[in-house]
Parts: sequence; C-alpha cells; structure tokens
Amino acid sequence: MEKNILKKDHVRPFLRKLARNSRLIAPLRTSHGDLLYQEIESIDSSEIDLSEQPQESAKQFLFPQQEQLFTYQSTSNGFTFSPRKSGMPTVLFGLRSCDISAILYMDVIFLRSPRDHYYLQKRKDTIIIGIGCNEPWDNCFCNATRTGPFLEIGFDLQLTDLGDRFYVESGRAVGDEILKKWPQFFSPVTDEDEKLRYQLMLEARSGFKRHVHVETAFQKIADNSVSPSVWEHLARRCDGCGGCAYICPTCTCFTIFDRPLSPHTGERLRTWDACTHDGFTRMAGGHNPVNTATDRLKRRFMHKLYFDYKQFNRPGCVGCGRCVGICFGGVDIAMFVDMVCAEKRDQRQNATVIGDLLIEAGLITRKQLYKALEKRDRTGMPLGNILMEMGIVTKEDIANCLADKVERP
Amino acid sequence: MAGLATTFGSGAMTNSINEITGAEVIFVIGSNTTEAHPQIARRILEAVDSGAKLIVADPRRTEISRSAHIHLQLRPGSDIALLNAMMRVILSEGLVDDAFIEMRTENFRELRKHLLAQDIDQLAAVSGIPASQIKKAARLYAGAQKGVICYCLGITQHICGTANVESIANLAMLTGHVEQAYTGVNPLRGQNNVQGACDMGAIPGVFPGYQQVSDPLIREKFERAWGKALPSEPGLTITDMTHRGRENGIRAMFIMGENPVMSDPDASKVEETLKGLEFLAVSDIFLTETARLAHVVFPAASFAEKCGTVTNSERRVQLMHQAIPPIGECRSDSEIIMELAGCLGYSMEYENSAEIMEEIALLTPIYGGIFHDRLETCWGLQWPCPTRDHTGTPYLHKYSFARGKGRFVPAENIMPDELPDDDYPFILMTGRVYHHYHTGAMTRASDILSREVPEAVLEINSYDAEEKGLRHGDMVSLRSRRGEMEVRVKPVDTISRGMLYVSFHFHESPVNRLTNPALDPVAKCPEYKVCAVNLEKA
Amino acid sequence: MMETGTMRESMRNAVTDNVFMPNETVISEIIEENSTIRTYTLRFTDRAAAFSFLPGQFVMLSVPGHGEAPISISSSPTSTDAIQLSVRRAGRLTSALHSMKAGEYVAVRGPYGVPFPVDELKGRDLLFVAGGIGLAPLRSLINYCRAKNGEYGKITLCYGSRSPSDIAFKNDLDAWQADGSVDVRLTVDVPERGWQGRTGLVTTLLDDLTINNSNSSALLCGPPVMIDAVISKLKESGMDSEQIITTLERNMKCGVGLCGHCHMEGVLICKDGPVFNVRTLENIMGATG
Repeated sequence: MEKNILKKDHVRPFLRKLARNSRLIAPLRTSHGDLLYQEIESIDSSEIDLSEQPQESAKQFLFPQQEQLFTYQSTSNGFTFSPRKSGMPTVLFGLRSCDISAILYMDVIFLRSPRDHYYLQKRKDTIIIGIGCNEPWDNCFCNATRTGPFLEIGFDLQLTDLGDRFYVESGRAVGDEILKKWPQFFSPVTDEDEKLRYQLMLEARSGFKRHVHVETAFQKIADNSVSPSVWEHLARRCDGCGGCAYICPTCTCFTIFDRPLSPHTGERLRTWDACTHDGFTRMAGGHNPVNTATDRLKRRFMHKLYFDYKQFNRPGCVGCGRCVGICFGGVDIAMFVDMVCAEKRDQRQNATVIGDLLIEAGLITRKQLYKALEKRDRTGMPLGNILMEMGIVTKEDIANCLADKVERP
Repeated sequence: MAGLATTFGSGAMTNSINEITGAEVIFVIGSNTTEAHPQIARRILEAVDSGAKLIVADPRRTEISRSAHIHLQLRPGSDIALLNAMMRVILSEGLVDDAFIEMRTENFRELRKHLLAQDIDQLAAVSGIPASQIKKAARLYAGAQKGVICYCLGITQHICGTANVESIANLAMLTGHVEQAYTGVNPLRGQNNVQGACDMGAIPGVFPGYQQVSDPLIREKFERAWGKALPSEPGLTITDMTHRGRENGIRAMFIMGENPVMSDPDASKVEETLKGLEFLAVSDIFLTETARLAHVVFPAASFAEKCGTVTNSERRVQLMHQAIPPIGECRSDSEIIMELAGCLGYSMEYENSAEIMEEIALLTPIYGGIFHDRLETCWGLQWPCPTRDHTGTPYLHKYSFARGKGRFVPAENIMPDELPDDDYPFILMTGRVYHHYHTGAMTRASDILSREVPEAVLEINSYDAEEKGLRHGDMVSLRSRRGEMEVRVKPVDTISRGMLYVSFHFHESPVNRLTNPALDPVAKCPEYKVCAVNLEKA
Repeated sequence: MMETGTMRESMRNAVTDNVFMPNETVISEIIEENSTIRTYTLRFTDRAAAFSFLPGQFVMLSVPGHGEAPISISSSPTSTDAIQLSVRRAGRLTSALHSMKAGEYVAVRGPYGVPFPVDELKGRDLLFVAGGIGLAPLRSLINYCRAKNGEYGKITLCYGSRSPSDIAFKNDLDAWQADGSVDVRLTVDVPERGWQGRTGLVTTLLDDLTINNSNSSALLCGPPVMIDAVISKLKESGMDSEQIITTLERNMKCGVGLCGHCHMEGVLICKDGPVFNVRTLENIMGATG
C-alpha cells in the first residue's frame, strides 16, 4: 500500500490530469448553500468543498434515481428493443467513508449473479478517491456500523486532511497505478505526517456525538426481544413517504415501468422504490402480503439490521445519519436502535408500566424515559430512583401515578 | 379568513410552525394533519414526544387522532356545538383568563350571556360526544400555559365556516391563548402558496395585503401605480363565476393553475358554465379536465422552471429558484400575464420577478420590506415585514390584536345545509390522501404516486357495509341530489355509522359532481365537507 | 463483503449479459379457460432465444407500454417447443394482454426461480391441491409427470373454484380424467343450478382421500387462506412438512434478485423460490418470530 503526501495546492492540477477523459464528481456548494456531490463541468471555475458531509450520497452516480433500461418500438412485425448505451469512465472524488462503504454494499447486491448490466457498466470504470472524516457530524454513527470514519479497504485512494496537505494512501492496484502515473504531484510521507495522521484518526473515533448501539440492536432482534410497542410507536409516525429509502445510500430497491412516448414507441425505465410504500408489495389483484405500516417498518429495519447482518456479518446501514434529518416523523434507524436498546428484557414489562404511566401523566417524556432506561441498564439502579436523580420527577409524582393505577378498574 | 379577520383583525397563522413544538397543549380540529400537512404533524408529534398533550376533534379516526390523548369524534358540522360546550365548561369552572379578557378583548359580555344560555348536555348530544370527554378536553386546553389550536378545511368548508372560525377565536381569547409565542390560533393552508395568493388579493374585495377596494385612499394609491381607474366594488367569488357565470354576465374566462371542473362543488354545473362561455383560456402545466374545455391553452412552467416567491401557512415568504430552463414552449405565469396584457393593450413590463416583488413591496405594507435580495440569504421572511430593516414577525398580535382589541363573536350551532333523510341517508365527507395533490393533475403523472393510491376509495363503516352487503373492493354508485359517480368501497372502523368519506383527486370518481355548492355567507366557501348521499352496488 | 482487485478484474472480463432485455414471442393460440383466465401459447420468433425450463419456474412477461409481470409457466417442458402462460385478468398488464389476439406479439425473459423438485418426487404418490388460477404452475408439473410415464406414483388433484362456471382448465381436467392419469376431484364455493359435485372449501375434498404419508408428496398453489388451511390439514393427518410443497406469489419487478420487492424474511422469493417446502418456509418465518 503506497503512502504519499499531496499538497492542497496541487489537487486541482492532479484532478485535471486524472479526469481528462472522465466525468468528475465531487462535493460542490450550490448557490443556495447546499453541499451536494455534483458533476464538475469545469475544474477551474468549481470550488470543491470538503468541509462537511454532502447532503446526499453518491448512490445516484452508479444507480440513478431514474434510468432508462431500453427503448421499444412496435411494428406489425413485432418489437425492436434497443438497450441504452453504457456509461462513461468516472472519478468520484472526496467521497466520505460511509458513501464508499455504501458502494461496496451496492457491489454485493448488483454484482452477484446475475449481474446488473447498467450498474456494472458504470461501476467498472469508476475510480474512487475518498476522504476520511476528521470530525464526525451530529447524526453520524459509522463507528457503530464499522464503516468509518476512516476506511481500510474499498477506496482506490483515501485522503486524510492534514491542514495544508493531504495524506494519500492507495487501497488497490488502480490507486497504485495513479500514484505511479503522476509522481510529480506526490512526495513521501514523513514520520511527522504519520504521527499527525494517527492522532487525527484517534480523535475522530472519539468525536462521535451519538452512540447508536447497532450490534446490541442486532442481538436483541436475534433474541426476539423487541417489543411490539416499539414497532407500533414508529409506525404511527411513518407517513410512508419513502424519503428514508431515497436518501439511504444502501437502499437499492427499484421498480420498473414503461413510459410510452408515442403510440408505437416508448421506454422502459427503472426508478428508486421504497419498501415503506404500500404499493411496493401489493400485487395486481390487490392482495398485499406486507399490509400495514407496522409490517413495512419491521421489514425495513429487520432487513438492514438483521438479515444483512446475518448474511454479510455487518449491517446494511453505513451510519451516515442522513435518514435522521429527512424523516418527518423521526422514524429513522438511529431512533429505532435507541428504542430497542433502551428496553431491557427482564424488566421490560414492569419498567414500561411505570414509564408509560409517568408519560401518560405528562410528568416525563419518552426521550427522558429512554435516557433513564439506558442508565438503568448500565447501573442496575431502579428506574424511579434514576428519574428522581435526574430531577425530573419527585417521589410523590411516582406514588401518585401508581395510586391512580391501583384505582383503575 | 373572514372569521379571524372579524375577531383578531388578521387571517393567518398567529404562530410560526416551529413554535408548535414548544406548546403544552395542542388542539387540532378539522385537520387530517398527518396526511395533509406532514411538516406540521411532525412538529405536533415532536411536541407530544416531549410531553405535550394532544386533543384532536375529527369525525374520522385519523392517523393523528391515534396519537391524541383525547379524540373527540364529533358529528360532521357540529363544531360550534363542541366549541360552545367547551367554552361553557371553561366559564362555569372559572377557567377563563380574566386579565386577558379585560386588557385585550371586547364584547365578552355578549359571549358570556350567550354561553350561559347554553346547556352542556344538549350541546354534547348535538356533537355526538359524551359530555365527560368535552369537559376533559376543555379543562386540558384551558389549564395549559401554552395552548395552540390548529384547524384546516374541516372547519372552513361548511356553510358556517366563518362562525366556526370565530368560535375557535372565542375559545382562544377566553383562555388567553393568543398574542404569545407557542400559543395561538393557526389555520393550516392547503397548498404551498394559498396564503400568498390571498395576500396578493386573490379575494374579491381586497387589493394585495388585504387592503379594501372600497377604501378610496387605497384605491387611489393603486390607480397611481397602475395608471388605470379601479373598481370600488368587490368582484365575484369563484362560485359566483363557475355556477352563476351566465347570470352574472360572464362571457369569457382566463383560468390559471386551477381545475374547477374537478375541484369545485356541483362540478357538472361548473362544466356547463365553462362550456357555455364564448371564450375560455386556461393556463396549466398539464392538460387538465378544465384545460380540455378551453379554446386556448397556455403551457405554463412548473415550479422548477421559474423563479419567484411562495408564502406558506406561517406567513413566510420564501424565494424559489429556477432549477431547469422551461421545457418546450412553457412560459412562467408572469410572462404569460404580461404578454397577454400587452396584447390586450395594457403594457406590463417587468424585467424579472424581482421587479414584480419590488412593486408588491411598494404597494403592500405587510410586504413592505420583502425583496428578493433579502430572501436570497435567509430561509424567508414572515410578514408583517414593513421595512427593509425589519426581521419579520414570528407570531402575530404581540401587545395587541391587529384590529386593536380582540372581539368575541358569539355563534349558535348551525346545522349543515343538507342533512341525511330517507332518500339520501348517508353523510358524505370529502378530503385528501397523502400521496395525491388536489385534482391529481401533477401527482397522477408520477408512476410511484399513482401506484400508491391508484383510485378513489369510499370509506364506509364496516357495519353499514355489512348491512348493505358490500365487500372490500365492490363498486358502488354514489348519488346525491346533484349528481352521481362510481367508486370502490372499503369498509373501515375509523368513521361512525351513517358517514362516508372519499377523496376528490380522481377524475374517474368526480365526487364534486355530488357535493353541495351551498356557501358560507361571509367567506363564500362551499360546504365540501357535508352532503347527503345514497349508495347502491353498481 | 466482496472486495479486492479480483472483483474489479472479474468485472472487466465479465460477459455482460443484460438480464433486463426481453425476447419477442408471438401469440400462436389463446384458450379461454374461464371468464377471467386465458392460456396463451407463445412461440419465440428467434428460435435461438427459446429456453429449457422445469415445472414451477416463471417468466417475466412484457406487454411493451404496459410493463412487465411475473407469470408462472403452465405448460410442461415435455410437450412442445412453445411455452404456455395462463393469465388471470387482474391489473393493467394482464388486462392489456387479455385484449390481444393470436398473431400479436409480446415479450418474455426467463426462465427464473427454483422449480419443483422433479427428481426427488420420482416414485412418490403426488397429491395436487389447487384453487382458481393456482392450477397454472401445477398443470405444468402434472403434464410433466404424465409424460414421464411410470416414473411417478399415483396422481390426485383436488381443485377448488368459486362457482361451477369459474372452473378453469376444463380441457385439461377432461383429458386427465379421460386417460385415467389423474384422479380429479372438484369442489366449488358457490354452487349453481345443475351442479352435482361437491360444495365447500377444497379441504373438504381431502377428507375423502386415504393418503399414504410415507410415500406421498403434496403440491399446493392457491390463495393464501386456502394454502394455510390445507397445510394444517395435511400436517394433522401426519404428512411430513418437508413433503408439502407450495409455490408463492409476490410482487416482482426484476425476477432475478435485484429489485428487492419479493424480499421476505431474508429470502428472495424470485431466486430462492418461488417453490418452497413447508419445513423451509417454517424455518424462514420462525427465524424472527
């Protein structure tokens, strides 16, 4: 594995050479302030912005939101089907670790047998240059899904921001080739660089603001200890809008439909689809084997956190946290994991009774309950004492609540 | 609109959307918030998650009512009875905010007298809700420090729409729940720019900014800017034009971005009126049912193809940028109007929408400080924003109501114009579904959205369905005094017996051929929410 | 996860067969099975596109302009070089197909999915239980077994329909009865005038049968409620759940395990099914409660 230094001043000349006959995709700030991976029209007039996580993943460049599969033409002698021509060589620059991990996941889905022709055509000539995250953002939890903040595999080149220069490591033969082809841009790493880089990696790992216990959730699902109320709570907040699936870098489900362009011609398209849609599993006669919002959410989270885990030994979630920001109802994967982890199996029944009573009485919030349950799981202290210690309720509050409960028929 | 104007002096959300999150009690009435206003519902659910109490009044067991602490499943059209009952409870249990009433309101004595003459049990019987539930809701709302009311078309689309709104305002003022942050009365607007359209004077009696056409000084201001004499009488309302166009002497019409053949009540009558015109021009992004009747159709640019502002429910004026150039021969609405005006001999020359905004600011005090360059750099400005250095107004009526003192306007319960009888024994309500927008002109062109909800579905109580021998998926023919249509039924337990519910997005099931064009006398809003129908297996 | 340079190499060298491209076929014959079911005989216009298949497999059928849907092959691979699809009018695509005439063109791609375990079934008595259109995939296997003269044991079919006029595949039922190759037993939910046969759910037909559990396999296809009832009945009577075989129907868009629509508890029905034995299904469903 080659290691080198690339001065920031030389990024633009380097990309100019690298992307000469390719489309170049990198994070750009739009005039309205959004940061998105975008195709760069002109290297000179575009300012690549590596200051934060782009709002969308790079999924669309390998698996577009809408893609023509072929056109059809019908004549009296039958049909002519003309497949769309393949994609062009692509350089993906400045990809975050989560987004690279998501591409590895898509590789598994689209390139097992049979291969997806359209994905393959784009993927086979794609160079991935990633950048590790020195500072995780508010909703990130790639540490829990083991997909960041720095990667060991998956990239052709990985950059680490050392201030005025990038530490560059090659992850694959293609990366080595690039370093060899344009040696003028790279200089050897010093001990100083190595130390600084290591320090940054350590700090990044401890910089996560959220702790989303993905593996614990997997265990709990495997033990069948997720209570139905968790699914129901989330289902009540799900509008089935599909936003989570569209923003998710590893959601690869799609639907296919025909769009007539004239009475005798048309195109067959595929578009992203979402398993939270009712029509996703509904059949032509109207029967739907996954008929309720609860079942759909269960299917969604189980797929990502359980079945993928079982099959690939890692979750189908890369911890990018984007679904946290997109959902109207707060039905994101991190929320689900938090809720699952906050439940303790043996005490679940009892604790939910007291907790629910306090929530019903308006004395505590659900968020506060989860926090308290988390602490109880850690310390083994009774839930009531924890809530009192947190200064949320008094002894009288709890007593009153329980008394009310006794009075009920 | 009219209801809040008579009571508060301004018809718009008194709070900002984000303030809902901080409310202590939220009272949702006549709003299917989760489906129709998901962004508002999101705030409501967040508030509930942090401990807020939620009261929902709706004849249907909607999604939002499932999260409610109290669901008041009232009879359609009995909102005033419910609100009066709540106020009666508040009055007799001494939960009124005396200081607020004294300092900020007028005409309380009238309301008090009116309420004291009411009997709670009788009102409860009219609304179909147990008195104990009403009392619980009244105490909860009145007892809160920060109480927010959200209402929508379930309140306004009745013949007593204005009185409904006035009653809501009465309730809020009685308990001092206005004029503050996290506390107020909030009409939710149905579309991204309904508020903006009203603000710009798309109401018969006003110029932009709710400036009355009857006021000679105002008229003079606009005449100087536009160089033309302007009428001093209010124009016609929509139903005056679409239902009584001939009587009102209308010979030609220009319809922009509306599909009244689908969306207006007694739609057959609308179609008849439009077909009888000497000339009809329609401007829309798709060839709608209305556009099909036109002599001339202007292909309009979609939101993504033009630049301009929209004003949302919370009075926030936001700038939308052009994302792609117009496809084909499409033109933006302003270009179409300008060119048309030019052909008609009135020159309208504006370089771009920013210049139009400058004229709005010049002539409309509440928009006085809103310019495109300011909007570029922020998430929008909330009117009133009178000057360039004003930062906008998150909540209305701080220090005092827009009209000075808030005015209590007592109301009696008014029964719907058309009640069920032997011939038409069911009450039909109309509404929306999450995946479609209005008459479906746009959303039905999306493959995924139309797959989600491919056709209209008539919800019927499962007991009624059983009695009628109807199974899920059966086609029925649904009849009212005005028209009929065919639709598939779905037995549910989310509505009471005797009621039916259907959405109006689908031209195959044009429910507005059935609905009642009876109007609220003030706001002129038709009673879409209640009409009497009968059904039989098709 | 898959990674390393070898994948990239294999991607470069891959022969890129595009699985989404359908092959044109011409409708050579249409049999009206009942008021909503028709059987279409399709011939590939390009002989080279013809494929071999086994009973239980399905194809993705295209009517360009109306989309694509999974349809199980209802003919036996032993019978002819054409394939037959039996299609019930249910949605947009099938309605379009039903409006077409012989000589018109449609397109198919496939065959997809795991077939019935034809080898393992050799020598066993076969009990077929079907409801409505569910007979389509079983028809393929029944005709296959008949053609493999003597390789399979006794064949019994219990077939339920909504009403006597809804009974589909009458030509087949008659032929099977006529040559004695299949013991055909019918029942209807709603009798009509003149109906002499059985009335009631298809499970009632099972009561008449003596099943040799040690040497019998059951093959089921029909509405989910019927399948559930038949499975519990057969298990009650002592049949091993491994010998109860069914084929599942799901919304599918690609047919080859890419689109995600038919995912069920970690299994892709299009690739891992649609044919499953009940023991496997129970394991799948039981994995997560």
